[in-house]
Amino acid sequence: MAKKKVMTSGGVEVRQKPLGLRIWNNRGYYIMFIPVLVFLLIMHYWPMLGVRYAFYDYKPVGTPTPVGFAHFQKMFSTPAFWTAFWNTLELSIANLLLTNVAAVVVSIFLNEMKNLFAKKTLQTIIYLPHFMSWAVVASIFSLFLSPSSTGMVNGILRDWGILGEADKNIYFLANTSWWRPIYWFIQVWKETGWGTIIYLATLSGINPELYEAADIDGASRMQKIRFVTLPALANTIITVLILNLAKVMNLFESVFVLYNNAVYEVSDVIATYIYRQTFAIALPNYGYSTAVGLFRSLVGCVLVLACNQASKKVRGRGIV
Amino acid sequence: MKKKALSLLLASTMVVSLAACGGKSDAPASDTTDNSNSTATDNSSTTTPAADTNTNTEAPADTASGEKADYHEVLKDGITIVVDGTLTASADNGQADFEKQWEEAVGIDLTIQQLDHSGYQDAVGRLFAGGDYPDAMIMAAGMFKQYAPTGLLWDLSDAYANAEFQNRITLTAINENLKDKDGHLYGFAPAYGNGCVTYVKKAWLDAVGIDASSIKTYDDYYNMLKAFHDGDPDGNGVDGDTYGVIAAGFLGNEAPYINYLPEFWQGAYPALYQKDGKWVDGFQEDATKEALLRLQQAYADGAIDPETLTASTKIAREKWFSNDQKGSAGVFTYWAGTWYQNLTDNLIKNEVNEELVQLPPIKEITDTFGGYLNREAPVWVIIDQGDPVRNQAVFDALFDTMLDGDVVQTLWVYGAEDVHWSTKAEEFTTNAGTDKEKSYSYADGEFHMKPSPNDPNTLWKKNHLDSALVISPLTNGFTAESDLMAEGNKFFTENCVDAPSTPVSETYTNESGTIYDAKLAVVTAVVVDGGDVDAAMQTYVDTVGSIVDQCLAELNQ
Repeated sequence: MAKKKVMTSGGVEVRQKPLGLRIWNNRGYYIMFIPVLVFLLIMHYWPMLGVRYAFYDYKPVGTPTPVGFAHFQKMFSTPAFWTAFWNTLELSIANLLLTNVAAVVVSIFLNEMKNLFAKKTLQTIIYLPHFMSWAVVASIFSLFLSPSSTGMVNGILRDWGILGEADKNIYFLANTSWWRPIYWFIQVWKETGWGTIIYLATLSGINPELYEAADIDGASRMQKIRFVTLPALANTIITVLILNLAKVMNLFESVFVLYNNAVYEVSDVIATYIYRQTFAIALPNYGYSTAVGLFRSLVGCVLVLACNQASKKVRGRGIV
Repeated sequence: MKKKALSLLLASTMVVSLAACGGKSDAPASDTTDNSNSTATDNSSTTTPAADTNTNTEAPADTASGEKADYHEVLKDGITIVVDGTLTASADNGQADFEKQWEEAVGIDLTIQQLDHSGYQDAVGRLFAGGDYPDAMIMAAGMFKQYAPTGLLWDLSDAYANAEFQNRITLTAINENLKDKDGHLYGFAPAYGNGCVTYVKKAWLDAVGIDASSIKTYDDYYNMLKAFHDGDPDGNGVDGDTYGVIAAGFLGNEAPYINYLPEFWQGAYPALYQKDGKWVDGFQEDATKEALLRLQQAYADGAIDPETLTASTKIAREKWFSNDQKGSAGVFTYWAGTWYQNLTDNLIKNEVNEELVQLPPIKEITDTFGGYLNREAPVWVIIDQGDPVRNQAVFDALFDTMLDGDVVQTLWVYGAEDVHWSTKAEEFTTNAGTDKEKSYSYADGEFHMKPSPNDPNTLWKKNHLDSALVISPLTNGFTAESDLMAEGNKFFTENCVDAPSTPVSETYTNESGTIYDAKLAVVTAVVVDGGDVDAAMQTYVDTVGSIVDQCLAELNQ
């Protein structure tokens, strides 16, 4: 078999050996890859067959019966689904922006700290919330924000005179005006520290000569941040945003532990909607849940592809 | 071109791989014959229990001929059961001993899978979604009603009729009422359902100067709640930091839905129920609107703890009997009988005055329902494995022995011997070193409860079956009902009526979650946000009105 001609990026023409020969020559690597391939096929590809149930009535009992696109029709005509869909996008995208802005600010602040001990201590403290489970975080904040007379935040508001004698305690987690700000605050508190890791790594890679040059030019501290640090971080910020944008449809745990029926309007997301449709009724129809899940995946896929395109434009290479 | 095709393929793969998380890969069996060889203990099996009961409703051939197969032989591999928190002998409370003694008494292996009580329905859904079907399990009435017509459950009417315990049953109506119109019996209730009564802290009543016997109407009740909130019943010197009543939600998601706040709901039944022989939506009735307005007023006045909106039963009761009574409530409507003793014990443990008053139903309740609601009983069901002989064997080994009147029934009623109870001479002390210290001394042969395995300061009370509610009493003379439990059971029996039955229709089964969400939206809008009840109700009608109409049409066919 003739060797295939391939042009390298440097414009040099090389001849490539046939695929079979290349596999044979690298058979050791291919053999090592077999367990991974088997794992992928069993754990990732075999379950994909389950998506066919989006087109079936499928309950814990009985034989699945085909229903065509009935579940999708029901889904698109259900207001609760659309509420959950838009909530997912709004909550996730705001999460992404807020946590990243906070992570950048905190990273720059940490980078500017001269006392190494204080810097390390602060870093450890702000990383800690990331390692707490969402269930624990929800319990803590539920106690702090309790509307009863034992709630700490309401107590402070009352002590400071912000809540008067005639005012009722604020039920933060059951109030549609308060729920989202509280949720975003908790997200930022929990994830900012973890988010700083990648930015601190980038900051440590900035050439010190740039700062020296800025010093020579008489730049102030703020000017150095503005004209040296931030431009150096820009590429990383965009990369992190793009990579995380692909995951915006995956919001579940943080919402699940903090929401309640009083705030479905502003808090219910696709994943919690699926959860309730699947597990909160005695005899669920998995077909409907799968249909909603498939739609969520389609949106996620579109976002991944869009991010890939954006990544190619910004970084010169894609993410998939 | 190849690259684009490859990209498209990869993209499609990604979509389905992400979506697959919401699906289920196990294909259920299409009919019973596929499952005839499946065994219950093989939880890894991907087969689903029989979907079509038509072939399985007949008694097994050997039963019909009058000879039962020996369950020891049929169940050599043991049986698996799924239970909720009503099996009080939990993993940290002597379950291993219960299991061991049951296995010794019955002669087969038993595997108990105990799921989280408050999320039992969800957990069962997840279990079934994973293709894990036990031999038998507990189902609450509402859950049972939805599963009964599906074919998942074995019709045990013949097994029940021929059960060994039949000649000892003193309360036959409960299981007869569980039969469908064709006489099929898909669940077995070994005990009555029980219900909730309203408990009031006596010390709080004394502190605000109210005599419990004077609380006869809603106005009396409400004035008491107001006094608990406005005054200082906990004696910490601060007015207004306590509440009248706390509950786990304004509206429950399990029948009879209103049992945690009966004084507010009064004659309203905010669910589908039968009225004059016809199914109606009680949620849209005027009685419900009036109840919502009462709740709205109470919420605004601080008569109800605002956390009622989101509190689980565990949170509600722990707040009620917590050591620090600031933020607690004076009234708590909870389960009768054993829980009368449990609540008292917890108050003692937390060093709070333990004296409680059981409030008789107020006039508005007796004039409408007639009393506190006795819920439909939870039932035990056998998952139809497509093998009538095995199903019968499970019945014989599990249900028939559960009411044997002797050793096995004692295990279900009181727990494991010498772990939860004993007849040996012994002495022990609870709450040693405190002013609640109490010593117990028993002679040899005297039946008595031992300290709970996970709480040596509290006496064990019961296991799964309540001795006062069980349909067939023990014949060995063992009884350990405390005075409070006996008083509580008697009080409830004298003041209860049966709750309306739960509906069964295909649309209701599919949409009950959506309907419940819509109801909660109304309750929140009216009670918490202080909104207009008619406007909120109109939203309910706009959101799920057509679904409810469909349910009613099916039910009234």
